[in-house]
Amino acid sequence: MAQVVEVKVVPPPLPQSWTPPESTSKSVSPLVERKLLPAGPAYLAHVRRTVHNLSFEEHDKHAEEERKRLEALDGNGGIEDDLGVGDEAETEELLSLDPKEWKKQDHYAVLGLSHLRYKATGAQIKIAHRKKVLKHHPDKKAGAAGDSNDDAFFKCIQKAHEVLFNAEKRRQFDSVDPYYSLIEDDVPTASQVTKAKDPVKAFFKGFGPVFEREARFSKVQPVPMLGDVDAPKEAVEGFYDFWYNFDSWRSFEYLDKEVNEGSDSRDDKRYTEKKNKSERARRKKEDTARLRNIVDTALSLDPRIKRIKEEEKAAREAKRKAKTGGAATTAAEKAKQEEEKKKAEEAAKKDEEEKVRWSIVLHCSWHELNLPLVRRGLRPRKQRRLLRTRERRREELNVQRRKGRRTFYPCPVVLCVMHMDMSVFPPLR
Amino acid sequence: MAVNGAVPNGTADATNGLSPQPTVVGINFGNSYASIAVLTKEGISECIANEDGERQIACAISFQGEELYIGNQAKPQLVKNAQNTIIGFRNLLGRKFSEIPKDKPVVSAPVIQHPNLRDEPAYRVQVLNPAPTPLPTSAAGTPAASSAPTPRSEPTPAERVLTVSEVTSIFLRSLVKSAEDFLGKKVTGAVLSVPVWFNDAQRTALEKAAREADINVLQLLEDAGAVTVTTSALWSEDVSPDRTQLVVDVGQSSLELSVLSSRQGLAYSLATLTDFSVNGDRIDEKLVKFFAKEFTKKTKTALTVCPSAERQDQRAEAKLRLAIEHTKRTLSASPGAATCSVESLKDGLDFTSSINRLRFDMEVRPIYDQIYAKVKELVASAQLDLYDIDEVVYVGGSASFPGLDETLAEGLPESVVTPFTSGTVIGGGIGDPTTILARGCALQAKLLASIGDSSEDQAVRKAFERDSEWAKTKATTKSIGLIFPEEGAEGDLDGQWVPVVLKETPLPCRRIVSLQVDVGEAASGPWKVGFEVWEVKEGVKIEKIKPPKDEDDPEEENQVGGDPDEEEEEEEEEEEEEEIETKEKTLEKVSFLSSLSFAVEEAEKTSGRLTARIEVQFLLDADGGLEVSAWEVKKSGRGQKATVTVFGPS
Repeated sequence: MAQVVEVKVVPPPLPQSWTPPESTSKSVSPLVERKLLPAGPAYLAHVRRTVHNLSFEEHDKHAEEERKRLEALDGNGGIEDDLGVGDEAETEELLSLDPKEWKKQDHYAVLGLSHLRYKATGAQIKIAHRKKVLKHHPDKKAGAAGDSNDDAFFKCIQKAHEVLFNAEKRRQFDSVDPYYSLIEDDVPTASQVTKAKDPVKAFFKGFGPVFEREARFSKVQPVPMLGDVDAPKEAVEGFYDFWYNFDSWRSFEYLDKEVNEGSDSRDDKRYTEKKNKSERARRKKEDTARLRNIVDTALSLDPRIKRIKEEEKAAREAKRKAKTGGAATTAAEKAKQEEEKKKAEEAAKKDEEEKVRWSIVLHCSWHELNLPLVRRGLRPRKQRRLLRTRERRREELNVQRRKGRRTFYPCPVVLCVMHMDMSVFPPLR
Repeated sequence: MAVNGAVPNGTADATNGLSPQPTVVGINFGNSYASIAVLTKEGISECIANEDGERQIACAISFQGEELYIGNQAKPQLVKNAQNTIIGFRNLLGRKFSEIPKDKPVVSAPVIQHPNLRDEPAYRVQVLNPAPTPLPTSAAGTPAASSAPTPRSEPTPAERVLTVSEVTSIFLRSLVKSAEDFLGKKVTGAVLSVPVWFNDAQRTALEKAAREADINVLQLLEDAGAVTVTTSALWSEDVSPDRTQLVVDVGQSSLELSVLSSRQGLAYSLATLTDFSVNGDRIDEKLVKFFAKEFTKKTKTALTVCPSAERQDQRAEAKLRLAIEHTKRTLSASPGAATCSVESLKDGLDFTSSINRLRFDMEVRPIYDQIYAKVKELVASAQLDLYDIDEVVYVGGSASFPGLDETLAEGLPESVVTPFTSGTVIGGGIGDPTTILARGCALQAKLLASIGDSSEDQAVRKAFERDSEWAKTKATTKSIGLIFPEEGAEGDLDGQWVPVVLKETPLPCRRIVSLQVDVGEAASGPWKVGFEVWEVKEGVKIEKIKPPKDEDDPEEENQVGGDPDEEEEEEEEEEEEEEIETKEKTLEKVSFLSSLSFAVEEAEKTSGRLTARIEVQFLLDADGGLEVSAWEVKKSGRGQKATVTVFGPS
């Protein structure tokens, strides 16, 4: 914009008798040639005006447009980019936190990151911490009248930063993030879904956010999400496959009981450590079971599974129909059906046997199972993987057993065949 | 798997990770010292320190065995390794060997004729080539069979001949490297400062050297241009945007003065003056001599310096020169005593002494006076008076001495703005003499980087090249302004004078002034407001008055003993015989151009007077045609616009 120069003097009023004097010169005095220094924004503006032959008003308009364009380019008009950290309101409750109780505080809320939580990047945490420190540093409050406990919140900030800036500590905290702990058990039950007005809608509405929440614990990213009603068969199967094999980084060190540092008793410490360890293991087990439970419930309620089954059935039907052709007689059809049925039964029987066999293998004592494996000289990783698959199979079978479909036959014979490949393990007669 | 190996945390999107500032630098490349400035995140330019923590980087490179020292590290090499240390190379850029004066004593590597290139100045230095790589080994790990004798495993002494251009490239490259290390990004362009007296060949040579150093030179900016950019970057309340600036550049190797007419950031030079006989080196000499005398007094060891003939004396001088660098900085920063200490100055004797500002000013008084004389000469050549200067801008480390400012202030009006009056010499604000050029260059680089690549912008970019047609402009010769007539006014103007377009304003130009006018006694409007547009001639009236004779001069008692003091005393007495000059600015009406009157509708009472606010706009086109418009500023917006036009000079 044009620069307006403010003049301080206040000129006197126009005399009544004033008349414009006779003109002594009709034009401005002769000009001189000068050479400008090609420097500065004023010169650039001068050149722009001369090159494009613009008047001052036109150039003003141009410059204003240019300024707006550059501002838009900058994103936030030259203000430092805080990566979307923003400013969160600090409640009275938050400010009165006790740094001694730091384990109980919500570190994200303290740093003003509760809108981002586990999604916050390292850079964002750094920025948020800096913002908070600038605001709450004790030096800033030195002048203001305050009590001796004035730096309590600052200590909380430092603690929060310490926890969140260290990847390992942050993972531990994220595992037991109080915000998510509160809503963790907020999972729809089978009756809630089935009794809803629109079960399908209730299912997706109920379980979608649950899986989204749990996905953050996966070591493998990205995590397949629940999807919608029309998801194809592969997606649905992939989804359940993933979630049954869920590999979680969640751990519960954060909830450990503090080892009493004051006492020098080694036994005391060891005892606490031992207890902590078992507690962690128990929690982890519970967590795995909890997730498994969720997935089980979801699977049992998923309307898409029913649809897929129906589709498969229809496809089979269609295939069979296409095979037999429309010309087949009823008798032939019947005979065929009979045969089919027989076949199916046979297959089912075979399947049954197979499963029994598996159950036997898998219910043997782990000592028995491990021994030959170690002897076989497999690499430990491969061994673990093998064990894991077996565990899974065993659990599946256990579930079925609980439902009373199977009975458990301990069978010492298995020991004899441990050295053989499982695939050639002959069916039991 | 590592903790968070799959990065479950930290997935929120960053909005914009790019810094809005282009990575350009401004380089002030002087003959003795250089400085670098970069743009901060806020777009302000800032002088940065190099790896050694130096903002004033000495223009020196030194070869010591296999090592190459650049900048302030090379300076100490002048003591023991002077033959392989190169200084003062910038002024030799683009010059022929035969043109270079060889009468000065050299304290560094001498300039020689290049053995292969005709009439090309060069330096010859002794270096050590790194040891050759071991012989290629065969697969068995033993050296391959060779008939050549086993090479020496030590570095071999060699001679290296460097042209001035090569030396400059090495040095500039190190400057840009420092900036890149600071920014963490590659530098995309640079603006280099050049002295005004550099001719085309020298500028071309500098550009070539910079290109060889892999620097994209955006512009070679004259020192005065860099000053304009820095000083006009921020409008401050107490400095008018239209002002006449005196630029005093006391460099280590030359004195450069110029008078600039700066009109709302658009500036041109009215006169320039360069003198190689007055420089920071002379100040150094005075100081070195002073301390050498002190040394002789304290230790009874003879020490002859400036010039020194003996090898030992030369070394001592070099050591003293290094040491007084710190002394000078202390002197310009604080009024107290500044120390100078050198270990083993001569004959294994250590030396420590101090000097206070008063004593220092006394020592260098002749140089200050020389500068003052040069300033007067320059101002006279611009057909101005010292009293016309509105602002003094100091450039260079040696200009940071308050004594210099005090000397110059004698002739300048009291209202003059200097970095000392605004307190930016030590604080490092806009007018900090040591960094002003580099910061100006960085801002200019930012400006040039902001010009786009369209065909129209290409034409604009051309305007920043050397001797561009676009830089030529016409300027006014007389000040044009408003006279509000008043009955029985003092002076010859018959009214209140409000300057609008000052003389030496480049055209086309636009000026808008906003002012409150008294509308008289009538209680209700509309009121009539009017003014005349005049061209005036500004002058300075010099009056000489006899001072009242003081019988007992208090200064006499304060005098300290010593030869130089007595001389000065005599001078002062002589001066007091003369009359004291008093200066006053005068105005003289030259020609009436037009007049304008209109009615205003809103007025309010302020401090007992009924006033209305009006704005007057002066629009001068490129040929001097003038359009004056005025309007009332009401609460609801602008009032009716009244306009008159005046033809330009035919």
